Amino acid sequence: MNSYLKNWLWRSLTILVLLGIVAGLWIATKRIDYTWRWNRVPQYFAYHSEDIKTVDFDGLITKIDKKGDLTTVTVKNAISGETSSFIIDTETANVSVDEYLMEGDTVGSTREWKAGPLAHGLWVTLWISAVASVIGLVIGVVTGLCRVSQNLTLRQLSITYIEIIRGTPLLVQLFIFYFFLGTVLNIGRLPSGIFALGIFAGAYVAEIIRAGIQSIPKGQMEAARSLGMNVPQAMIYIILPQAFKRTLPPLAGQFISLIKDSSLVSVIAITDLTKSGREVITSTFAVFEIWFVVAFLYLILTFSLSQVVAWIERRLAVSD
Amino acid sequence: MIKTVDLEKIFVVRDQVVRAVDGITTHIKSGEVVVVIGPSGSGKSTYLRCLNGLEPLTAGHVHIDGIDLANRKTDMNKVRREVGMVFQQFNLFPHKTVLENLVLAQMKVRKRSRKEAEKKGRALLDKVGIPEKESNYPSQLSGGQQQRVAIARALAMDPKVMLFDEPTSALDPEMVGEVLEVMKQLAREGMTMVVVTHEMGFAREVADRVLFMDYGKLVEEGTPEHFFTEPQEERAKLFLRQVL
Repeated sequence: MNSYLKNWLWRSLTILVLLGIVAGLWIATKRIDYTWRWNRVPQYFAYHSEDIKTVDFDGLITKIDKKGDLTTVTVKNAISGETSSFIIDTETANVSVDEYLMEGDTVGSTREWKAGPLAHGLWVTLWISAVASVIGLVIGVVTGLCRVSQNLTLRQLSITYIEIIRGTPLLVQLFIFYFFLGTVLNIGRLPSGIFALGIFAGAYVAEIIRAGIQSIPKGQMEAARSLGMNVPQAMIYIILPQAFKRTLPPLAGQFISLIKDSSLVSVIAITDLTKSGREVITSTFAVFEIWFVVAFLYLILTFSLSQVVAWIERRLAVSD
Repeated sequence: MIKTVDLEKIFVVRDQVVRAVDGITTHIKSGEVVVVIGPSGSGKSTYLRCLNGLEPLTAGHVHIDGIDLANRKTDMNKVRREVGMVFQQFNLFPHKTVLENLVLAQMKVRKRSRKEAEKKGRALLDKVGIPEKESNYPSQLSGGQQQRVAIARALAMDPKVMLFDEPTSALDPEMVGEVLEVMKQLAREGMTMVVVTHEMGFAREVADRVLFMDYGKLVEEGTPEHFFTEPQEERAKLFLRQVL
Protein backbone atom coordinates (compact mmCIF):
# COMPACT_ATOMS: atom_id res chain seq x y z
CA MET A 1 0.00 0.00 0.00
CA ASN A 2 1.58 3.30 -0.94
CA SER A 3 1.62 6.22 1.48
CA TYR A 4 -0.72 8.38 -0.56
CA LEU A 5 -3.46 5.80 -0.48
CA LYS A 6 -2.85 5.22 3.21
CA ASN A 7 -3.24 8.96 3.91
CA TRP A 8 -6.33 9.08 1.78
CA LEU A 9 -7.92 6.36 3.89
CA TRP A 10 -7.07 8.16 7.12
CA ARG A 11 -8.50 11.37 5.72
CA SER A 12 -11.75 9.61 4.91
CA LEU A 13 -11.83 8.28 8.44
CA THR A 14 -11.47 11.82 9.83
CA ILE A 15 -14.42 13.01 7.78
CA LEU A 16 -16.40 9.94 8.78
CA VAL A 17 -15.79 10.53 12.49
CA LEU A 18 -16.77 14.21 12.20
CA LEU A 19 -19.94 13.29 10.27
CA GLY A 20 -20.68 10.67 12.92
CA ILE A 21 -20.50 13.28 15.69
CA VAL A 22 -22.76 15.67 13.77
CA ALA A 23 -25.25 12.88 13.06
CA GLY A 24 -25.22 11.88 16.72
CA LEU A 25 -26.00 15.45 17.78
CA TRP A 26 -28.75 15.68 15.22
CA ILE A 27 -30.36 12.46 16.44
CA ALA A 28 -30.07 13.68 20.03
CA THR A 29 -31.94 16.90 19.18
CA LYS A 30 -34.60 14.87 17.36
CA ARG A 31 -35.19 12.86 20.50
CA ILE A 32 -35.94 15.96 22.55
CA ASP A 33 -38.32 17.22 19.83
CA TYR A 34 -36.35 20.31 19.00
CA THR A 35 -37.54 21.97 15.83
CA TRP A 36 -34.73 23.64 13.92
CA ARG A 37 -35.75 26.99 12.51
CA TRP A 38 -32.76 28.17 10.55
CA ASN A 39 -35.01 30.35 8.40
CA ARG A 40 -35.47 32.71 11.34
CA VAL A 41 -31.79 33.51 11.57
CA PRO A 42 -31.04 35.64 8.46
CA GLN A 43 -33.42 38.46 9.43
CA TYR A 44 -31.25 39.15 12.47
CA PHE A 45 -28.29 39.91 10.24
CA ALA A 46 -30.06 42.30 7.93
CA TYR A 47 -33.65 43.24 7.36
CA HIS A 48 -35.65 45.41 5.02
CA SER A 49 -36.94 48.41 6.89
CA GLU A 50 -39.71 50.56 5.50
CA ASP A 51 -39.88 54.27 6.25
CA ILE A 52 -43.42 55.47 5.50
CA LYS A 53 -43.67 59.11 4.44
CA THR A 54 -46.88 60.90 5.38
CA VAL A 55 -48.04 64.49 4.93
CA ASP A 56 -48.58 66.51 8.10
CA PHE A 57 -50.93 68.99 6.40
CA ASP A 58 -53.78 69.02 3.90
CA GLY A 59 -52.61 69.65 0.35
CA LEU A 60 -52.72 68.98 -3.36
CA ILE A 61 -50.16 66.96 -5.31
CA THR A 62 -48.81 69.31 -7.96
CA LYS A 63 -46.02 67.26 -9.50
CA ILE A 64 -44.72 63.65 -9.60
CA ASP A 65 -41.22 63.35 -10.99
CA LYS A 66 -40.07 59.78 -11.63
CA LYS A 67 -36.35 59.30 -11.93
CA GLY A 68 -35.48 55.60 -12.07
CA ASP A 69 -35.97 54.01 -8.65
CA LEU A 70 -36.72 57.30 -6.91
CA THR A 71 -39.74 59.52 -7.29
CA THR A 72 -40.12 63.08 -6.06
CA VAL A 73 -43.67 64.00 -5.10
CA THR A 74 -44.38 67.71 -4.65
CA VAL A 75 -47.37 68.65 -2.47
CA LYS A 76 -48.79 72.16 -2.15
CA ASN A 77 -50.11 73.13 1.26
CA ALA A 78 -53.79 74.02 0.86
CA ILE A 79 -53.71 76.73 3.55
CA SER A 80 -50.29 78.40 3.39
CA GLY A 81 -49.57 77.70 -0.26
CA GLU A 82 -46.06 76.45 0.46
CA THR A 83 -44.85 73.37 -1.41
CA SER A 84 -43.06 70.39 0.13
CA SER A 85 -41.20 67.58 -1.65
CA PHE A 86 -41.10 63.92 -0.65
CA ILE A 87 -38.57 61.47 -2.05
CA ILE A 88 -39.94 57.92 -2.15
CA ASP A 89 -39.19 54.62 -3.86
CA THR A 90 -40.90 54.53 -7.24
CA GLU A 91 -42.49 51.12 -6.65
CA THR A 92 -44.27 52.37 -3.50
CA ALA A 93 -45.78 55.40 -5.23
CA ASN A 94 -49.55 54.98 -5.58
CA VAL A 95 -50.62 58.61 -5.74
CA SER A 96 -51.36 60.71 -8.79
CA VAL A 97 -51.17 64.36 -9.81
CA ASP A 98 -54.04 66.57 -8.59
CA GLU A 99 -54.90 64.11 -5.87
CA TYR A 100 -55.93 65.84 -2.63
CA LEU A 101 -54.22 64.49 0.49
CA MET A 102 -55.49 64.90 4.05
CA GLU A 103 -53.17 65.32 7.00
CA GLY A 104 -51.67 61.91 7.86
CA ASP A 105 -52.17 60.39 4.42
CA THR A 106 -49.39 58.23 2.97
CA VAL A 107 -47.40 59.61 0.04
CA GLY A 108 -45.20 56.52 -0.27
CA SER A 109 -42.25 54.99 1.49
CA THR A 110 -38.54 54.36 1.23
CA ARG A 111 -37.13 50.95 1.88
CA GLU A 112 -33.60 50.13 2.85
CA TRP A 113 -31.55 47.25 4.19
CA LYS A 114 -30.60 47.67 7.83
CA ALA A 115 -28.09 45.74 9.87
CA GLY A 116 -29.72 43.40 12.35
CA PRO A 117 -28.57 42.79 15.92
CA LEU A 118 -26.19 39.97 14.98
CA ALA A 119 -24.39 42.07 12.35
CA HIS A 120 -24.28 44.97 14.78
CA GLY A 121 -22.93 42.75 17.56
CA LEU A 122 -20.30 41.33 15.24
CA TRP A 123 -19.18 44.86 14.39
CA VAL A 124 -19.04 45.84 18.08
CA THR A 125 -16.99 42.74 18.93
CA LEU A 126 -14.68 43.49 16.01
CA TRP A 127 -13.90 47.08 16.90
CA ILE A 128 -13.74 46.49 20.66
CA SER A 129 -11.21 43.71 20.06
CA ALA A 130 -9.25 45.85 17.60
CA VAL A 131 -8.99 48.83 19.94
CA ALA A 132 -8.19 46.59 22.94
CA SER A 133 -5.50 44.82 20.86
CA VAL A 134 -3.81 48.11 20.04
CA ILE A 135 -3.93 49.16 23.70
CA GLY A 136 -2.68 45.72 24.75
CA LEU A 137 0.17 45.82 22.25
CA VAL A 138 1.31 49.29 23.33
CA ILE A 139 1.10 48.41 27.04
CA GLY A 140 2.73 45.05 26.37
CA VAL A 141 5.71 46.47 24.48
CA VAL A 142 6.31 49.19 27.07
CA THR A 143 5.95 46.75 29.98
CA GLY A 144 8.09 44.15 28.20
CA LEU A 145 10.85 46.73 27.79
CA CYS A 146 10.53 47.74 31.46
CA ARG A 147 10.72 44.06 32.37
CA VAL A 148 14.21 43.76 30.81
CA SER A 149 15.30 47.24 31.90
CA GLN A 150 18.39 47.90 34.04
CA ASN A 151 16.26 50.00 36.36
CA LEU A 152 15.03 48.00 39.37
CA THR A 153 11.89 50.10 39.96
CA LEU A 154 10.74 49.72 36.36
CA ARG A 155 11.40 45.99 36.58
CA GLN A 156 9.51 45.58 39.85
CA LEU A 157 6.57 47.70 38.69
CA SER A 158 6.21 45.69 35.51
CA ILE A 159 6.40 42.39 37.41
CA THR A 160 3.74 43.61 39.85
CA TYR A 161 1.43 44.57 37.00
CA ILE A 162 1.96 41.29 35.17
CA GLU A 163 1.44 39.15 38.28
CA ILE A 164 -1.73 40.99 39.36
CA ILE A 165 -3.33 40.85 35.93
CA ARG A 166 -2.36 37.26 35.21
CA GLY A 167 -3.36 36.12 38.67
CA THR A 168 -6.95 37.39 38.66
CA PRO A 169 -9.86 36.36 36.43
CA LEU A 170 -10.74 38.66 33.54
CA LEU A 171 -14.38 38.58 34.60
CA VAL A 172 -13.48 39.99 38.02
CA GLN A 173 -11.23 42.59 36.38
CA LEU A 174 -14.12 43.67 34.16
CA PHE A 175 -16.35 44.15 37.20
CA ILE A 176 -13.64 46.11 39.00
CA PHE A 177 -13.08 48.29 35.95
CA TYR A 178 -16.77 48.92 35.44
CA PHE A 179 -18.04 49.24 38.99
CA PHE A 180 -14.97 50.64 40.76
CA LEU A 181 -12.85 52.54 38.23
CA GLY A 182 -15.85 53.36 36.07
CA THR A 183 -17.52 55.03 39.06
CA VAL A 184 -14.43 56.63 40.55
CA LEU A 185 -13.06 58.01 37.30
CA ASN A 186 -16.53 58.49 35.84
CA ILE A 187 -15.99 56.57 32.60
CA GLY A 188 -18.66 54.73 30.67
CA ARG A 189 -19.10 51.00 30.16
CA LEU A 190 -17.49 50.93 26.71
CA PRO A 191 -14.19 52.55 27.75
CA SER A 192 -14.19 50.44 30.94
CA GLY A 193 -14.63 47.24 28.97
CA ILE A 194 -12.07 48.15 26.32
CA PHE A 195 -9.43 49.21 28.84
CA ALA A 196 -10.00 46.11 30.96
CA LEU A 197 -9.46 43.92 27.87
CA GLY A 198 -6.44 45.93 26.72
CA ILE A 199 -4.77 45.89 30.13
CA PHE A 200 -5.50 42.18 30.48
CA ALA A 201 -3.94 41.39 27.11
CA GLY A 202 -1.03 43.76 27.84
CA ALA A 203 0.23 41.59 30.70
CA TYR A 204 0.46 38.54 28.47
CA VAL A 205 1.92 40.51 25.55
CA ALA A 206 4.58 41.89 27.92
CA GLU A 207 5.78 38.40 28.80
CA ILE A 208 5.80 37.40 25.13
CA ILE A 209 7.79 40.51 24.19
CA ARG A 210 10.23 39.93 27.07
CA ALA A 211 10.84 36.36 25.93
CA GLY A 212 11.32 37.64 22.38
CA ILE A 213 13.86 40.26 23.41
CA GLN A 214 15.76 37.77 25.55
CA SER A 215 15.86 35.26 22.70
CA ILE A 216 17.89 37.65 20.51
CA PRO A 217 21.61 36.80 20.82
CA LYS A 218 23.61 39.23 22.98
CA GLY A 219 25.91 39.85 20.03
CA GLN A 220 23.19 41.82 18.26
CA MET A 221 23.03 44.42 21.01
CA GLU A 222 26.83 44.48 21.23
CA ALA A 223 27.19 44.97 17.48
CA ALA A 224 24.67 47.81 17.55
CA ARG A 225 26.35 49.47 20.52
CA SER A 226 29.81 49.04 18.98
CA LEU A 227 28.58 51.08 16.00
CA GLY A 228 27.78 53.93 18.37
CA MET A 229 24.02 53.42 18.65
CA ASN A 230 22.47 54.19 22.01
CA VAL A 231 20.19 51.72 23.77
CA PRO A 232 16.87 53.10 22.41
CA GLN A 233 18.25 53.11 18.85
CA ALA A 234 19.54 49.56 19.19
CA MET A 235 16.17 48.45 20.58
CA ILE A 236 14.09 50.16 17.88
CA TYR A 237 16.18 49.28 14.84
CA ILE A 238 17.87 46.01 15.80
CA ILE A 239 16.35 44.12 18.73
CA LEU A 240 12.61 44.80 18.53
CA PRO A 241 12.17 44.05 14.80
CA GLN A 242 13.83 40.68 15.29
CA ALA A 243 11.97 40.01 18.53
CA PHE A 244 8.68 40.95 16.87
CA LYS A 245 9.28 38.50 14.06
CA ARG A 246 10.00 35.69 16.51
CA THR A 247 7.05 36.46 18.75
CA LEU A 248 4.51 36.79 15.97
CA PRO A 249 2.99 33.29 16.45
CA PRO A 250 2.45 33.62 20.24
CA LEU A 251 1.25 37.22 19.78
CA ALA A 252 -1.29 36.02 17.24
CA GLY A 253 -2.49 33.43 19.74
CA GLN A 254 -2.85 36.16 22.36
CA PHE A 255 -4.94 38.38 20.09
CA ILE A 256 -7.11 35.45 19.06
CA SER A 257 -7.69 34.86 22.78
CA LEU A 258 -8.54 38.54 23.13
CA ILE A 259 -11.28 38.28 20.49
CA LYS A 260 -12.78 35.34 22.34
CA ASP A 261 -12.36 36.95 25.77
CA SER A 262 -14.16 40.03 24.50
CA SER A 263 -17.39 38.00 24.82
CA LEU A 264 -17.12 38.63 28.57
CA VAL A 265 -17.84 42.34 28.15
CA SER A 266 -21.48 41.35 27.62
CA VAL A 267 -21.73 41.06 31.43
CA ILE A 268 -21.34 44.83 31.77
CA ALA A 269 -24.13 45.29 29.20
CA ILE A 270 -22.04 46.06 26.14
CA THR A 271 -24.00 44.83 23.15
CA ASP A 272 -21.30 42.71 21.57
CA LEU A 273 -21.84 39.56 19.53
CA THR A 274 -22.58 37.41 22.58
CA LYS A 275 -25.06 39.84 24.09
CA SER A 276 -26.74 40.34 20.71
CA GLY A 277 -27.07 36.59 20.47
CA ARG A 278 -28.74 36.44 23.88
CA GLU A 279 -31.11 39.24 22.90
CA VAL A 280 -32.09 37.52 19.66
CA ILE A 281 -32.74 34.29 21.57
CA THR A 282 -35.16 36.04 23.91
CA SER A 283 -37.27 37.05 20.92
CA THR A 284 -36.97 33.88 18.81
CA PHE A 285 -36.33 31.03 21.25
CA ALA A 286 -34.08 29.62 18.53
CA VAL A 287 -31.49 28.85 21.20
CA PHE A 288 -29.51 26.19 19.39
CA GLU A 289 -29.40 27.95 16.03
CA ILE A 290 -28.31 31.32 17.39
CA TRP A 291 -25.52 29.97 19.60
CA PHE A 292 -24.17 27.94 16.70
CA VAL A 293 -24.29 31.03 14.51
CA VAL A 294 -22.57 33.14 17.18
CA ALA A 295 -19.85 30.53 17.57
CA PHE A 296 -19.40 30.42 13.81
CA LEU A 297 -19.08 34.22 13.64
CA TYR A 298 -16.34 34.20 16.31
CA LEU A 299 -14.64 31.47 14.31
CA ILE A 300 -14.70 33.66 11.20
CA LEU A 301 -13.06 36.52 13.11
CA THR A 302 -10.33 34.40 14.67
CA PHE A 303 -9.66 32.46 11.49
CA SER A 304 -9.30 35.67 9.47
CA LEU A 305 -6.83 37.00 12.03
CA SER A 306 -4.72 33.85 11.94
CA GLN A 307 -4.69 34.01 8.13
CA VAL A 308 -3.51 37.64 8.21
CA VAL A 309 -0.76 36.71 10.68
CA ALA A 310 0.30 33.75 8.55
CA TRP A 311 0.57 36.15 5.61
CA ILE A 312 2.75 38.58 7.62
CA GLU A 313 4.92 35.66 8.74
CA ARG A 314 5.50 34.64 5.13
CA ARG A 315 6.38 38.24 4.25
CA LEU A 316 8.92 38.45 7.09
CA ALA A 317 10.46 35.11 6.21
CA VAL A 318 12.40 36.59 3.27
CA SER A 319 15.47 37.24 5.43
CA ASP A 320 15.63 33.65 6.73
CA MET B 1 45.88 56.66 20.29
CA ILE B 2 44.85 54.06 22.90
CA LYS B 3 46.39 54.02 26.33
CA THR B 4 45.43 51.58 29.03
CA VAL B 5 46.62 52.14 32.57
CA ASP B 6 46.40 49.31 35.13
CA LEU B 7 43.28 48.03 33.35
CA GLU B 8 41.38 45.54 35.49
CA LYS B 9 38.23 43.56 34.79
CA ILE B 10 36.94 41.21 37.45
CA PHE B 11 33.95 38.92 36.97
CA VAL B 12 32.17 37.30 39.88
CA VAL B 13 30.60 34.04 38.72
CA ARG B 14 28.81 32.09 41.48
CA ASP B 15 31.04 33.51 44.23
CA GLN B 16 34.10 32.71 42.12
CA VAL B 17 36.24 35.76 41.46
CA VAL B 18 37.72 35.69 37.95
CA ARG B 19 40.39 38.27 37.21
CA ALA B 20 39.88 38.31 33.43
CA VAL B 21 42.10 41.33 32.88
CA ASP B 22 44.57 41.90 35.65
CA GLY B 23 46.46 45.16 35.49
CA ILE B 24 47.39 45.78 31.88
CA THR B 25 49.24 48.93 30.87
CA THR B 26 49.77 49.41 27.15
CA HIS B 27 50.11 52.18 24.64
CA ILE B 28 48.89 51.64 21.10
CA LYS B 29 50.10 54.30 18.72
CA SER B 30 48.22 55.67 15.75
CA GLY B 31 48.71 53.52 12.65
CA GLU B 32 50.06 50.61 14.62
CA VAL B 33 48.87 47.03 14.16
CA VAL B 34 48.89 45.21 17.49
CA VAL B 35 48.13 41.51 17.67
CA VAL B 36 47.06 40.03 20.99
CA ILE B 37 47.68 36.32 21.41
CA GLY B 38 47.49 33.89 24.27
CA PRO B 39 45.86 30.66 25.36
CA SER B 40 42.05 30.54 25.55
CA GLY B 41 40.71 32.05 28.76
CA SER B 42 43.70 34.33 29.05
CA GLY B 43 41.48 37.42 28.93
CA LYS B 44 42.48 38.74 25.51
CA SER B 45 38.89 39.11 24.27
CA THR B 46 37.87 40.81 27.52
CA TYR B 47 40.80 43.17 27.17
CA LEU B 48 39.69 44.03 23.64
CA ARG B 49 36.07 44.54 24.74
CA CYS B 50 37.25 46.91 27.46
CA LEU B 51 38.84 49.10 24.78
CA ASN B 52 35.44 50.20 23.44
CA GLY B 53 33.56 49.98 26.70
CA LEU B 54 31.52 46.87 25.86
CA GLU B 55 32.77 45.59 29.22
CA PRO B 56 32.65 48.19 31.98
CA LEU B 57 36.03 48.45 33.67
CA THR B 58 36.49 47.30 37.25
CA ALA B 59 39.52 49.51 37.77
CA GLY B 60 42.14 51.41 35.81
CA HIS B 61 41.78 53.63 32.79
CA VAL B 62 41.37 53.39 29.04
CA HIS B 63 42.21 56.57 27.15
CA ILE B 64 41.10 56.76 23.54
CA ASP B 65 42.40 59.90 21.85
CA GLY B 66 42.75 61.40 25.30
CA ILE B 67 39.17 60.57 26.39
CA ASP B 68 39.00 58.43 29.53
CA LEU B 69 36.43 55.64 29.33
CA ALA B 70 36.55 55.20 33.12
CA ASN B 71 35.20 58.73 33.54
CA ARG B 72 31.48 58.43 34.21
CA LYS B 73 30.80 61.62 32.28
CA THR B 74 32.26 60.23 29.06
CA ASP B 75 29.62 59.72 26.36
CA MET B 76 30.34 56.09 25.43
CA ASN B 77 28.26 56.30 22.26
CA LYS B 78 30.49 59.09 21.00
CA VAL B 79 33.62 57.08 21.72
CA ARG B 80 32.27 53.91 20.15
CA ARG B 81 31.52 55.50 16.80
CA GLU B 82 35.25 56.18 16.50
CA VAL B 83 36.15 52.60 17.43
CA GLY B 84 35.07 49.92 14.96
CA MET B 85 34.67 46.36 16.16
CA VAL B 86 34.53 43.03 14.34
CA PHE B 87 33.22 40.01 16.21
CA GLN B 88 33.97 36.32 16.09
CA GLN B 89 30.31 35.54 15.33
CA PHE B 90 30.01 38.40 12.76
CA ASN B 91 26.82 39.68 14.46
CA LEU B 92 25.36 41.06 11.26
CA PHE B 93 21.76 42.21 11.56
CA PRO B 94 19.87 39.24 10.07
CA HIS B 95 16.66 41.17 9.33
CA LYS B 96 18.43 43.70 7.12
CA THR B 97 20.04 43.35 3.73
CA VAL B 98 23.79 43.65 3.39
CA LEU B 99 23.57 47.26 2.21
CA GLU B 100 21.10 48.12 4.99
CA ASN B 101 23.55 46.67 7.51
CA LEU B 102 26.12 49.16 6.28
CA VAL B 103 23.74 52.09 5.95
CA LEU B 104 21.75 51.96 9.20
CA ALA B 105 24.33 53.21 11.71
CA GLN B 106 25.70 55.77 9.27
CA MET B 107 22.25 57.34 9.04
CA LYS B 108 21.21 57.01 12.69
CA VAL B 109 24.54 57.74 14.36
CA ARG B 110 26.55 59.77 11.86
CA LYS B 111 23.35 61.45 10.59
CA ARG B 112 24.31 60.99 6.96
CA SER B 113 21.70 61.15 4.20
CA ARG B 114 20.59 57.82 2.72
CA LYS B 115 22.21 58.69 -0.59
CA GLU B 116 25.53 59.49 1.00
CA ALA B 117 25.40 56.41 3.26
CA GLU B 118 24.55 54.08 0.37
CA LYS B 119 27.38 55.50 -1.72
CA LYS B 120 29.80 54.89 1.11
CA GLY B 121 28.33 51.43 1.74
CA ARG B 122 28.68 50.39 -1.91
CA ALA B 123 32.24 51.67 -2.06
CA LEU B 124 33.13 49.59 1.01
CA LEU B 125 31.42 46.47 -0.35
CA ASP B 126 33.52 46.97 -3.44
CA LYS B 127 36.60 47.26 -1.27
CA VAL B 128 35.93 44.00 0.59
CA GLY B 129 35.19 42.31 -2.73
CA ILE B 130 31.44 41.52 -2.61
CA PRO B 131 29.71 44.37 -4.44
CA GLU B 132 27.17 41.97 -5.98
CA LYS B 133 25.69 40.91 -2.63
CA GLU B 134 24.28 44.24 -1.51
CA SER B 135 20.62 43.21 -1.65
CA ASN B 136 21.14 39.75 -0.15
CA TYR B 137 20.36 38.92 3.45
CA PRO B 138 23.23 37.83 5.72
CA SER B 139 21.83 34.28 5.94
CA GLN B 140 22.41 33.91 2.19
CA LEU B 141 26.15 34.62 2.52
CA SER B 142 29.02 32.33 3.40
CA GLY B 143 30.87 32.87 6.68
CA GLY B 144 33.79 34.58 4.98
CA GLN B 145 31.46 36.91 3.09
CA GLN B 146 29.55 37.70 6.27
CA GLN B 147 32.73 38.60 8.10
CA ARG B 148 33.83 40.83 5.24
CA VAL B 149 30.44 42.58 5.39
CA ALA B 150 30.97 42.99 9.15
CA ILE B 151 34.34 44.63 8.49
CA ALA B 152 32.75 46.92 5.91
CA ARG B 153 29.97 47.77 8.37
CA ALA B 154 32.51 48.86 10.98
CA LEU B 155 34.53 50.81 8.40
CA ALA B 156 31.42 52.66 7.23
CA MET B 157 31.53 54.67 10.45
CA ASP B 158 35.01 55.98 9.54
CA PRO B 159 36.57 54.71 12.76
CA LYS B 160 40.00 55.78 13.95
CA VAL B 161 40.70 52.35 15.41
CA MET B 162 39.52 48.89 14.43
CA LEU B 163 39.22 46.10 17.01
CA PHE B 164 39.08 42.50 15.78
CA ASP B 165 37.88 39.82 18.20
CA GLU B 166 39.04 36.48 16.77
CA PRO B 167 37.62 37.39 13.34
CA THR B 168 38.53 34.10 11.68
CA SER B 169 37.84 31.63 14.50
CA ALA B 170 34.28 30.83 13.44
CA LEU B 171 35.18 30.40 9.76
CA ASP B 172 35.73 27.31 7.68
CA PRO B 173 39.47 27.02 6.91
CA GLU B 174 39.08 27.85 3.21
CA MET B 175 37.41 31.17 4.09
CA VAL B 176 40.04 32.40 6.52
CA GLY B 177 42.25 33.67 3.71
CA GLU B 178 39.74 36.08 2.19
CA VAL B 179 39.09 37.75 5.55
CA LEU B 180 42.79 38.00 6.43
CA GLU B 181 43.42 39.53 3.01
CA VAL B 182 40.95 42.35 3.75
CA MET B 183 42.62 42.90 7.13
CA LYS B 184 46.08 43.01 5.58
CA GLN B 185 44.90 45.59 3.10
CA LEU B 186 43.54 47.70 5.95
CA ALA B 187 46.85 47.44 7.77
CA ARG B 188 48.72 48.56 4.64
CA GLU B 189 46.43 51.58 4.41
CA GLY B 190 47.61 52.65 7.85
CA MET B 191 44.56 51.77 9.96
CA THR B 192 45.21 51.48 13.68
CA MET B 193 44.27 47.89 14.51
CA VAL B 194 44.09 45.73 17.61
CA VAL B 195 43.62 42.09 16.61
CA VAL B 196 42.93 39.17 18.92
CA THR B 197 43.67 36.09 16.86
CA HIS B 198 45.08 32.58 16.71
CA GLU B 199 46.45 33.18 13.21
CA MET B 200 50.19 33.17 13.91
CA GLY B 201 50.94 33.71 10.24
CA PHE B 202 48.96 36.92 10.25
CA ALA B 203 50.69 38.08 13.44
CA ARG B 204 54.09 37.42 11.96
CA GLU B 205 53.38 39.09 8.66
CA VAL B 206 51.29 42.11 9.58
CA ALA B 207 51.79 42.96 13.24
CA ASP B 208 53.99 45.84 14.35
CA ARG B 209 53.84 44.50 17.86
CA VAL B 210 52.66 41.32 19.56
CA LEU B 211 51.13 41.22 23.04
CA PHE B 212 51.14 37.83 24.77
CA MET B 213 48.57 37.46 27.55
CA ASP B 214 48.04 34.72 30.10
CA TYR B 215 45.80 34.66 33.20
CA GLY B 216 44.74 38.25 32.51
CA LYS B 217 48.30 39.55 32.63
CA LEU B 218 50.50 40.94 29.91
CA VAL B 219 53.30 38.38 29.93
CA GLU B 220 55.43 39.40 27.00
CA GLU B 221 55.39 42.16 24.41
CA GLY B 222 57.58 42.83 21.40
CA THR B 223 58.00 42.85 17.66
CA PRO B 224 56.92 39.67 15.85
CA GLU B 225 60.55 38.79 15.00
CA HIS B 226 61.53 39.05 18.61
CA PHE B 227 58.46 37.25 19.94
CA PHE B 228 58.40 34.33 17.54
CA THR B 229 62.15 33.69 17.47
CA GLU B 230 63.46 34.47 20.93
CA PRO B 231 60.67 34.80 23.50
CA GLN B 232 61.95 35.49 26.98
CA GLU B 233 59.16 34.18 29.17
CA GLU B 234 58.69 30.49 29.88
CA ARG B 235 54.91 30.62 29.34
CA ALA B 236 55.33 32.27 25.96
CA LYS B 237 57.83 29.60 24.92
CA LEU B 238 55.44 26.85 26.02
CA PHE B 239 52.55 28.44 24.15
CA LEU B 240 54.56 28.84 20.96
CA ARG B 241 55.73 25.24 21.12
CA GLN B 242 52.10 24.14 21.27
CA VAL B 243 50.73 26.28 18.46
CA LEU B 244 53.59 26.34 15.96
